[in-house]
Amino acid sequence: MIWPFIARSLEIATILLLAAIGELLDERAGVLNVGIEGLMLFGGAAGFIAALKWGLLPGFIVGTIVGGAFGLLHAILSITLKVNQVVSGMGVWLFAMGFVTYWADRYSGPLPMGMVSPKIYGLSPMFFIALAIVFVIWFILSRTHLGLKIRSVGEDPSTAEVSGVNVIRIRYLCTTIGGLLGGLAGAFLVLTYLACWSHLPTMGLGWVALALVMFSLWRPPILLAGALLFGFIWQFAISPETIYAGIPAPLPVLRMLPFAVTIIFLTAISSERFRRKWALAKPAALGQPYIKE
Amino acid sequence: MISLRFPRLKFERIVVLTGADAIKISALSVVISFMVFGAFLSFEGADPLVAYEHIFSFAFDPKLGLPTTLHRGFFLVFNTLAFIIPLAAGIWNIGMEGQFYLGTIGAFAVAYSFPDLSPAALIPLMLISGAIFGAAYGALAGFLKGKMNVNEVVVTIMLNNIAFWLVYLLTVGGPWAGIAESTSRPLPKNAWAPMIWDTPFTSILVIALAILVYFFLKKTTIGYQIRTLGSNPIVAKHVGISAPKISVLVMAIGGAIAGLSGYHMWAGDPAFLMIPRPEAYKAIGDLTYWGIILGLICLLNPLASVPASIFIGSIIVGATVLVRRLRLPFGLDVLFLGIISLVFAAFQFFHQYRIKRVKVVRR
Repeated sequence: MIWPFIARSLEIATILLLAAIGELLDERAGVLNVGIEGLMLFGGAAGFIAALKWGLLPGFIVGTIVGGAFGLLHAILSITLKVNQVVSGMGVWLFAMGFVTYWADRYSGPLPMGMVSPKIYGLSPMFFIALAIVFVIWFILSRTHLGLKIRSVGEDPSTAEVSGVNVIRIRYLCTTIGGLLGGLAGAFLVLTYLACWSHLPTMGLGWVALALVMFSLWRPPILLAGALLFGFIWQFAISPETIYAGIPAPLPVLRMLPFAVTIIFLTAISSERFRRKWALAKPAALGQPYIKE
Repeated sequence: MISLRFPRLKFERIVVLTGADAIKISALSVVISFMVFGAFLSFEGADPLVAYEHIFSFAFDPKLGLPTTLHRGFFLVFNTLAFIIPLAAGIWNIGMEGQFYLGTIGAFAVAYSFPDLSPAALIPLMLISGAIFGAAYGALAGFLKGKMNVNEVVVTIMLNNIAFWLVYLLTVGGPWAGIAESTSRPLPKNAWAPMIWDTPFTSILVIALAILVYFFLKKTTIGYQIRTLGSNPIVAKHVGISAPKISVLVMAIGGAIAGLSGYHMWAGDPAFLMIPRPEAYKAIGDLTYWGIILGLICLLNPLASVPASIFIGSIIVGATVLVRRLRLPFGLDVLFLGIISLVFAAFQFFHQYRIKRVKVVRR
């Protein structure tokens, strides 16, 4: 039967979508957070431990909040302290790898019996929540005054400041929301998709989400299509036999697939011709700290 | 008339950061990291001072930890150099892990193919092959960055994951599989590295390499072009420096150095290759990310990277004592490294600004 496979790949797409739409919001405000993988690890670990103590729903909530806290930390480092955004994101990620190993590896194992996430015909309703979040963020960015402010902060912060936008506040807001969504993505990965904790469970999903933002050309609708495609590829790499029984490629070759496809896609959209054809919405001030002079 | 004086803090931009200041900042961040980790240690019910004494007495004891400390420390020097050279040209090489894996594959492929060569021929061949494999893998990212304008951070991370599965393919149930789980067959005896002070001879090689890189970046024409491109791409374009060429070059050099670390890591000491299951603890590959932090702490100075790497190496080796000797929970050693990386990232602030107290008079 092919439906369970599709449901699983939609769940991977949900994880990518949640993490990537948060990152897209960050980047539209001009803050690059390369530590999504770290946010997901924190969200996943906190969610898992909270779920063991209090149940599933508190698990999701705690995971989301902890992700938001580390989004806020990245904001403090990169906006107030003006640390290079790549350095700060890497710092949060490396800290996450260490902290989560120490904190959550002692609880390694599956969730207790009976703690099963709700499913609609085998598909988690979180998929629809993620779709709604993508729609809301698309709507805010392209149809509201707030979205105009966010985009102007990402394009040219000093001009935005002159016209009365509080650059610092907008950037803090977007980075923290990005962190919340990253945490939720991690919690969903651990609590619903895997339903267990094992050492560093994200396996590069956060980095795929980061790449996904780049080849969505910073547009939510393309991001949705990309997440669905990569959800399929990722799930195919894990359980190819449902689609193609007796596939000749060994498992490690399949596991390389999502990463190789990412590089190919990224190369394609980076080419000059492609950029001219599909106007790129890359924020001009991406990655630059805002310095008031 | 009442006047109140409020001291206020002001960030003042630093134009040129001197080496002495950089050392002061790094020392301060080390102290802060030790204090933060000390809080975790007390939380776990251990006396921080006793724990630190255990860490360093183990790491620098010639009978216990010192050989491993030097081995891991020099491994980090390779990866720091591999990070420094591309960043001097403004390119973020996060791909040391992948280049290290590819270098390992290159070195081991030679050793398995020609097990009967004499060590004098086999070992240089392994080094060269490892460097070429690493360089090719790095140059791929450099080419994509320079010619195609693809973001190098994402590409190198993707290449790391691909390289991990490539090694996995070869060692776990693959052509190189050994008897023990997730390890390769032992290398032929001729391929074992000659040891100096119980570490592979590549430790001496890497010190020479650090000096070489220092002079390469400071004194040669290409080094000057690299630094120009890194500090100001627009000027570089006007004086006729080819950005695509330089980015391939720096990534190839960086990749070659990271590739050499593959030989250093495996050939001499364990003389076999070990790749853990993906969901397990893949400590060695993760260590390469220290190159990033070390490179930034050293302000891209290759010479400073040697003592800094040995220091971090001693923590990597010494912190394992916490789990084994003091019976503290698993993962505390990795946590220590995580704390250091976060604190160092935060302290990058002091590389750009100093905090001044401004006295404001208000009425």
